[in-house]
Amino acid sequence: MKPFDPRLLRYARSARSYLALTVGLGVFGAVLVVAQALLLAHALASVVHDGADLPDITGVVVALAGVVVTRASVTGVQERYAHRAATRAIGELREQVVERAAALGPRWLAEGAGPGVVTLATRGIDALEPYFVRYLPQLVLAATLTPATLLVVLGLDWVSAAIIAGTLPLIPVFMVLVGQLTQGRSERGLRVMQRLGSQVLDLLAGLATLRALGRERGPAARVRELGDAHRGATMGTLRIAFLSGMVLELLTTLSVALVAVSIGLRLVAGEIDLVTGLAVLVLAPEVYLPLRQVGAHFHASTDGVAAATQVFAVLDTPVPTTGTIPAPDLRSTTVRLRGVGVRAPGREVHAPAGLDLTVAPGRVVALTGPSGAGKTTAVAVLLGLLHPDVGSVTLVDPHGGETDLAGIDLESFWRQVAWLPQRPVLEPGTLADLVTGGAGAVSASARDDAAALTGLDHVVAGLADGWSTPLGRGGTGLSVGQRQRVALTRAVLSCAQLVVLDEPTAHLDAAGDRVVLDAVCALRDAGRTVVLIAHRSSLVALADDVVEVRPEPVVAGVSS
Amino acid sequence: MTALRGADGPSLPRGAGPAGPGPAGPGPAAGPWRAHDPLRRALALLAIDRSRVAVSVALGVLGLGSAVALAAVAAWLIARASQMPPVLELSIATVAVRTFGIGRGVFRYLERLVSHDVALRGMGALRNALYTRLAAGRPEGTAAVRRGDLLARVGADVDAVGDAVVRGLLPAAVALVLGLATVVAMGALLPAAGASLAACLLLAGVVAPWLAARGARTTEQRAVIARASIASIALGLLDDPGALAVQGRIAPELAALRGSDAELADATDAGARPAALAAALGSLAVGVAVLSALLLGTRAVAGGGLTPVELAVIVLTPLAAFEATSVLPAAAIQVHRSRAAATRIMALIDEAETGTVPDRGAPGSVAVAPSLVARGLSCAWPGQPPVVSGLDLDLSPGRSIAVVGPSGTGKTTLLLTLAGLLPPHAGTVELGGAAVSSLPRETAARGVALTAEDAHVFATSILENLRVARGDVTPDEAREALRRAGLADWLDGLPDGVDTQLGTDAQNVSGGERRRLLLARALVAPAPLLLVDEPGEHLDPATADLLVRDLLTQSSTATGTPGRPAWSATHRARGVVVVTHRLTPLDAADEVVLLRDGRVEARGTHTELLRTHGGYRESLDRERDDD
Repeated sequence: MKPFDPRLLRYARSARSYLALTVGLGVFGAVLVVAQALLLAHALASVVHDGADLPDITGVVVALAGVVVTRASVTGVQERYAHRAATRAIGELREQVVERAAALGPRWLAEGAGPGVVTLATRGIDALEPYFVRYLPQLVLAATLTPATLLVVLGLDWVSAAIIAGTLPLIPVFMVLVGQLTQGRSERGLRVMQRLGSQVLDLLAGLATLRALGRERGPAARVRELGDAHRGATMGTLRIAFLSGMVLELLTTLSVALVAVSIGLRLVAGEIDLVTGLAVLVLAPEVYLPLRQVGAHFHASTDGVAAATQVFAVLDTPVPTTGTIPAPDLRSTTVRLRGVGVRAPGREVHAPAGLDLTVAPGRVVALTGPSGAGKTTAVAVLLGLLHPDVGSVTLVDPHGGETDLAGIDLESFWRQVAWLPQRPVLEPGTLADLVTGGAGAVSASARDDAAALTGLDHVVAGLADGWSTPLGRGGTGLSVGQRQRVALTRAVLSCAQLVVLDEPTAHLDAAGDRVVLDAVCALRDAGRTVVLIAHRSSLVALADDVVEVRPEPVVAGVSS
Repeated sequence: MTALRGADGPSLPRGAGPAGPGPAGPGPAAGPWRAHDPLRRALALLAIDRSRVAVSVALGVLGLGSAVALAAVAAWLIARASQMPPVLELSIATVAVRTFGIGRGVFRYLERLVSHDVALRGMGALRNALYTRLAAGRPEGTAAVRRGDLLARVGADVDAVGDAVVRGLLPAAVALVLGLATVVAMGALLPAAGASLAACLLLAGVVAPWLAARGARTTEQRAVIARASIASIALGLLDDPGALAVQGRIAPELAALRGSDAELADATDAGARPAALAAALGSLAVGVAVLSALLLGTRAVAGGGLTPVELAVIVLTPLAAFEATSVLPAAAIQVHRSRAAATRIMALIDEAETGTVPDRGAPGSVAVAPSLVARGLSCAWPGQPPVVSGLDLDLSPGRSIAVVGPSGTGKTTLLLTLAGLLPPHAGTVELGGAAVSSLPRETAARGVALTAEDAHVFATSILENLRVARGDVTPDEAREALRRAGLADWLDGLPDGVDTQLGTDAQNVSGGERRRLLLARALVAPAPLLLVDEPGEHLDPATADLLVRDLLTQSSTATGTPGRPAWSATHRARGVVVVTHRLTPLDAADEVVLLRDGRVEARGTHTELLRTHGGYRESLDRERDDD
C-alpha cells in the first residue's frame, strides 16, 4: 500500500496547493525546531555551566520567544488551511466520481463496483478528510523534519547521529514485520467483529417482529452472549494490532534514552561540551516525532488510501464512447431493434432475448411479458443507455437508410425523447416549473388542459399554494402516484416526439388507469410516437403494435 | 466492583472526570455533567467497573509518566555529567533513563488493552440495556429502529459512546493525573516554575480542547444542510442516471452538487478558525512553559534558590509533559460527537419508555379465551390523526375476515391495534375480555399473532426464522409450513433446505419469497387468531389468490381433516384477519370489510357485496380482466 498516490494531485486540484503549502510549512517548521533546540541549549548551558545571569542571556531568550511564537503560528496556519483544502479536494473528487459513475450508466452501477459508489460518494470519500488534515502533514514532516534534524545532529555529534541512524531503519522494518504477522489475524478478527456486531443489530431490527409474536424476551440473553463474543474477538485483534504501536514506541524512546546515556558518559569524559549535549538531547525526540505521528494516524492513512483507491478505480474506468452524428428528426425516423439480447446481471439469462422491435413515427407500441423478462432493459437499449450484447439498434430514415444508434450523438437524440420511468425523478422546484420544465414557455390553458387529462388538476386543487407549491428534491411532499401524474403531465406538455412510459399504471389506482389511457390517446392524436411497458390488458388493447419480450438462457458460444 | 449509577451517585470515578469543567464543557456552571446530560445517562448504562478504570488510568499515567521521567532524568544526567563527577554517581541515572525508555512502550501497550476492554464491556452493557429497554417499552418506539439507515446509526452510536471512554474521558483522566504530578514535582524544585507550568497545561489541556470542540460544533451545525443536500443529489444522480441523462439534467445536477460542496467547504472553513487557534495555543503553551521556566529558573539560580542541574530539569521536562495534553483537543471533539450519539440513543429509549408501566404482570399468568372483540375502534399512529374509525369486529376461531380498501387507508395501523401493539385511539379491543394492549405481550401473543407487511427476516437459517414464531418447530413442520405457503419449489432448489442461511433482512430472497416465508412463519405460530398483512404482494395474481384462499379457509378446517398437518393439531380451527388488495379469493372469507377514507364503507360476505356494492363488483371485474 502506497502512503500517497500521486493521482490525488492529478484529480484534486485543491490538493496541489495544499501539498505545496504543507511542504513549505514543514521545511520552515524544521528550521524553527532546530533553531529552538540550539537557542535553548545555548541559554541553558551558559547558565548551568558558565554561571550566566538573566541579562547575559536576554538576547537568546528574545530570539527563543520569537521562535516559539512563530512555531505556534505555523501550526495554526497549517491547521487552518488543512480543513479547507481537505473539504475542497473531497468535493472535487466527489463531483468527478459522481459524474463518471453517472456516465458509466445504470448497468455499470448495478453490478460489480457500482453499488459501492453510492456509499463512496456520500460517506466513504469523507475518510480522506483525516487523511489530508492529520496524516499527510505528518508524512511530509517525516520527509522533511526527520532528515533535517538528523543532519543537524550529525553536524553536532556524530555518535548520537549514528545511534539514531542505526535505529531509524529498524522502525519501518519492525512495523512491516509486525504488520505482516498481524494482518491475516486482524482481518479475520475484523470480519468476526463485523458479523457479531451486525447480529446484534439484526435482533434490534427484528424487535417489532419479535413483539408481534410475543417473543421479545428470549433474545436478551443472546444479545449478552454476542456482546461477550464481540469483546473477545475485538480484544484478540487489538492485542495483536497494538503490538506495532508498542514496537514503535519502544524503539523511539529507547534510542532517545541511549542517546542521552551516551552523551552523559562522554560529557563526564570531557569528549563533548554541554551545549552540544543539550542540543542533541532536545533534537533527538524531534527526529522520531513525525514517524510516531505517522504511526498514530495509521488508520487515517489506511482508510484514506482505501477511499482514494476506490475513487481512482471509478475515475480510471473508461467511459464508453458516444457517437457524433446528430440525430435525425424522429418525426420521420423509425427506431429498429434487431435480434437484441442483453445478459441479465448475475444470471445466465438473456433478458430480453432475440428482441425485434420497430418503433415507427406516430405508432403506439406496447411491450408485454412477465416481470424479469427485460422490458425495462429493452427501453434502456432503445434509448441508447445500454449497448446490447447481441443484435443491433438502428435509426431508419424514410428512404430506408440505416444509421447505428452507437454512432449517434445521444444528447441530440434524447432532446426528442420524453421518458417516464417507474419511479420518476423530479428536480426541486414549483409544481408549475416541474411540469413545464421540458417545454419552456407553455400557456396556462395548455397546462391546465394537460393537468385535466392526467388528473393532476385534482392534486393541484388539493394544495394550498396550487401550481406554485414548492416541491423538494425527488418530489418530496407528493406520493409516488402523484409524482407519476406530474411526470405524465410533463411528458404530455413536452414537445418530444418519442414518449416512453414504463409501467405507467403501477402506482395509480383505478381512477389512475383511466388517466393513462386518456393521456396515451391524446399523445397519439398529437401524432407522437409512444412506447409503453404495460401489464394491464386495457392499456395493451390501446396499442397499435404489441411486442412480447422474452428471456432466454444463454447458450454457450452464442453469448458475446 | 461497583457499577456506575446515573443520577444519584457520582457519575464517574474521580480520576475519570476531565480536567476542570471538562474539555468540551462551555464553562464550570454548565459543565458536561448535568443530571440530564444524555452522555452522562448513556455512560451510566455502560455500567463501567471503577477498578478497571483505575487500572487503565494508572497504566496510562505510568506510560506517559515514563516519558516525562525520561526527559527529567536525562536532563539531570547531562547537566550533572557536564560538571564531571565520578562516573559511578551517574550510574543510577543511566539505568533509570534506559528503564523509562522501555517502560513507556510497555505501559502504553497495557493501558490501551485495559482501556479498550473497559469500553468494550461498556458497549456490550449498553447494547444489552438498549435491547431490553426497547423490548420492554412501547411497541411503536421500536418501529422506528426498523429502517436500515437508522439501524446502522444505532450501531455506530453505541460505538461512539464507547469511544467517549477510550478517546475522551480516559486520556483526559491520564492528562489530569500526570499534569498534577508533573506540576507538583516541578513545584517542589521551584514553586513559581510549577505554577507557570500549571497555567500552561491548563491552556493546552482545557482552553485548546474547548476551542477545538467549538470549531467542530460550528462546522457540524453549519454543514448539516450541505451534507444532506450532497447526499440527496449524489443519490439522485446515481440512482437513475439514465432518466436524468435523457432529460438532459446531468449537468445541472452536477452544478448543484458543486454548489453544495462549496457550502460544505465554507462551513468547514468557519469551524477551522477555532481549530487553528486551538492548535496554535497547544504549541504556544509548550514554548511559554519552557521559556518561563528558563527565566524563573535563571533568576533562582542567581539567587541561590536552585542548583544549575535542577534548572536543566525544570527547563527540559515541560517538553515531554505536554504529550498528554496534546491529545485532548481530539478528545474534546470525541466527547462532543459521543454526546450527539448518546442523545440519539437516549431519545430512542425515552421514546420507547414514555408512559409505559415497566412490569405488566408475570407472563402467562392470565388464561386467554381466544376471541377478539373490537367496538367503536379508531386507530391512529401516536400523535397523528386517526386513519380508521368506528370499526366493530368480532374474531374467534373458525372465522375468517378479509379487510380491503385502497392503499393508504390505514389497514396496517388497524392490524397493529388489533394485535395490541398500538393502543386504540378510541374504542376498545378486547382479547378474552381484557384490553389487548394492556396484556403482557407474551399473553397477548399466545392469543393473537400478527405478521406485518414489513416483518423482519433474521440473518439466520430458514428454520430459525420460523422458530421465531414458536421455539419448538421441527424441520418437518417447517417444511410443511413452507409447502403450504407455496415455497415447496423454492425449498427444493436450496441445497441446505431449511438450514439455508438468509442474508440480513432477506436481501438474498425475492420480494415474493420473503412474503411467503413470513406467511409460513404465521402458519407455525401457536396463536389461535392470526392477523396477516398483504400475504399476496409481489406474487403473480394466481399464486396470490391461492395463498389468500388457503389462509382464509384454514379457519374452517376442522381438526383431524385428512392432510391437515400434525403441527396444527394443538388447536382447533383458527380465526384469521387478512388484509389484501385482491378481491378474487374473497369468496372464501366469512366476512369482507371494505374500508374507504377511514370508514367502513360496506361489509358482508363476498356474494352480498357483489350484489349490493357497485364499486366492489366493478373492481372485481377489472381485476379479472387484467389477469
